[in-house]
Amino acid sequence: MTATIKANLPVFVVIAPLFVAFVLPTFARRIRLVESLVIAVGVLGLLGTGYLASLILIEKGIPIIYSMGGWSAPWGIELRVDSLGAFFLLVVAGVSLPVALFGVDNLTHEVGGSAQTTRFYVLYLLLSGALAGMAVTSDLFNVFVLVEVATLSCCGLVSARNHPRAAEAAFNYLILATLGSALILGGIGFLYIITGHLNMGLASQELGRVWRDYPHVVWMAASFLLVGFGVKAALFPLHVWLPDAHSTAPSPASAILSGLGVKGYMICFTKVLYNVFGTTLMREFAMHRILVLLGMIAIIAGSILALAQDELKRRLAFSTVAQVGYVFLGLGFANASGLTGTLFHMASHAVIKSGLFLAVGAIITTTGKHRISEMAGIGKKMPITMAVFTIGSLGLAGIPLFSGFIGKWYLLSGSLEAGGSLAAVVIIAGSVLCAAYLFPMIRIAYFEPAPVEDWQDPGVPQRIALVLLAAGVVILGVLPGPFLELAKGAALELLGSM
Amino acid sequence: MRDFVLKRVAALLLPFIQMYGLYVIFHGHVSPGGSFAGGIVVGLAFIAFATIYGLERGRAKVPEKATTLVESYGTLWYGLMGMIGIFKGAPFLANKLAGIDLGELGALSSGGLISLIGLGVGIRVASTMVALFFTMMEDES
Repeated sequence: MTATIKANLPVFVVIAPLFVAFVLPTFARRIRLVESLVIAVGVLGLLGTGYLASLILIEKGIPIIYSMGGWSAPWGIELRVDSLGAFFLLVVAGVSLPVALFGVDNLTHEVGGSAQTTRFYVLYLLLSGALAGMAVTSDLFNVFVLVEVATLSCCGLVSARNHPRAAEAAFNYLILATLGSALILGGIGFLYIITGHLNMGLASQELGRVWRDYPHVVWMAASFLLVGFGVKAALFPLHVWLPDAHSTAPSPASAILSGLGVKGYMICFTKVLYNVFGTTLMREFAMHRILVLLGMIAIIAGSILALAQDELKRRLAFSTVAQVGYVFLGLGFANASGLTGTLFHMASHAVIKSGLFLAVGAIITTTGKHRISEMAGIGKKMPITMAVFTIGSLGLAGIPLFSGFIGKWYLLSGSLEAGGSLAAVVIIAGSVLCAAYLFPMIRIAYFEPAPVEDWQDPGVPQRIALVLLAAGVVILGVLPGPFLELAKGAALELLGSM
Repeated sequence: MRDFVLKRVAALLLPFIQMYGLYVIFHGHVSPGGSFAGGIVVGLAFIAFATIYGLERGRAKVPEKATTLVESYGTLWYGLMGMIGIFKGAPFLANKLAGIDLGELGALSSGGLISLIGLGVGIRVASTMVALFFTMMEDES
């Protein structure tokens, strides 16, 4: 029995959330049961992904390949748990569990009654399943399907909030994201036309043979995929949907959208870029330069736009735009340190940004204040929430001993290896700007006189969720060992498939 | 709507349309079409009934609870059929590898689990069509 479960873990981590999601609507009345099912799936997912990651670590990165229905690569769909897959699975499971825990007993005021809460969890599990699928799939068409599942659940999650602005934001997001999906499908179509394969490894081999005959098709495919995934992952200047969507969604939804949602598309883009095009083609078509340029612009522009916001959630949302820039920047370096940095930064940003969004959500729910200038005294009234917010801010700014530091350190050495001193300056400037837009909130919250109000930290599940995420930030910063090893393994894997 | 001819024709045709939808679902592996297309035909029969005989009578045929249940368990059915492979020690969604008899090529019984999986997809598509239709119509009124 256990042997069967172990052998089929790669598929279980993907289908378990999906199938539980489909059953949830039948228990809509019994909200306790719904919540416990969601938490149970989260815990089992974390155990399963932890086991897979430890296997990969022990086997020194030898991938676990799972063929759906027993049909191997050219005919069937292949799931591939390699270092990259295990790393991202761990991020997905590790972040989605605390975020789900935060929603327990806490969603009704944001989304409405128990039917709406169930609907929220259905979309939440669909998104988690799709993200887990993105981590392990190595089939181009599967990538598109999972991207669609994730996009539609994200739109649903944004519109789940009981507020007219949420519906508007979700609609804008839907339009732009559908455009992105169409472009991704187009890009995959171009690749399929010239290679005849949907499996990434086989498509890559074939592309290596034929790209000289079809340089324009390769260009088209690359640009379609870049713009498509760029819209989805909110790469500046394609980020326009993100601030509205992420700031109007219910807090757990903002957390998972900013923390994991955009990361899933980045992982897909990373896979397509490195596992299909490979570094040779990237250099041949100067894709890496474009990525570095776009990344730098995104870091600076996102940070400056974040500085200009006074609304808490909008500032965090623009900060996501800046952090997305780091990821694309690292993808453009195309060397081991840069990729390690990018992957580690993805993980640390996932943990940090969900923690920040949840903390801010707790603040907004308790105090009803959503502007930074009104945060006075929250540090004294809500110590746990504000401590988590502070840890997250320190992490995001890249202070040593917090998780953001390690990712940025590797990105910095990656930029120097790639000979981009301007990129190095931008990385440091981004950190400084990040401190500039996050630290004033901490100052106002702790050092301005507190109003006489009866504010308190949120309930027990919410506190546990916040503390778990803050602990994640510190653990990733102090003892990054296995995570860093997985990230390094993934970077080497991505570079090896040229 | 009070159109006598329309109602009679619909009453005569709709059962056959539904049978045709089920036919397409179950013959997905031997003829054109498949569970998705067949599911749409089955769903359209219900939608046609509701547009011709009125929303209330249509709703009486397929209550909201029924569509929810079918949507949820139709997908779960697909999952269970996939799990058969795992229980038999083969990968997820395995068919022949799970020891299912594939029968004679071209016969209705030749697809192993495929037509059963198709049933799950078909009823789910049908109920989703119906649910979407009623959601939109009831929002309007």
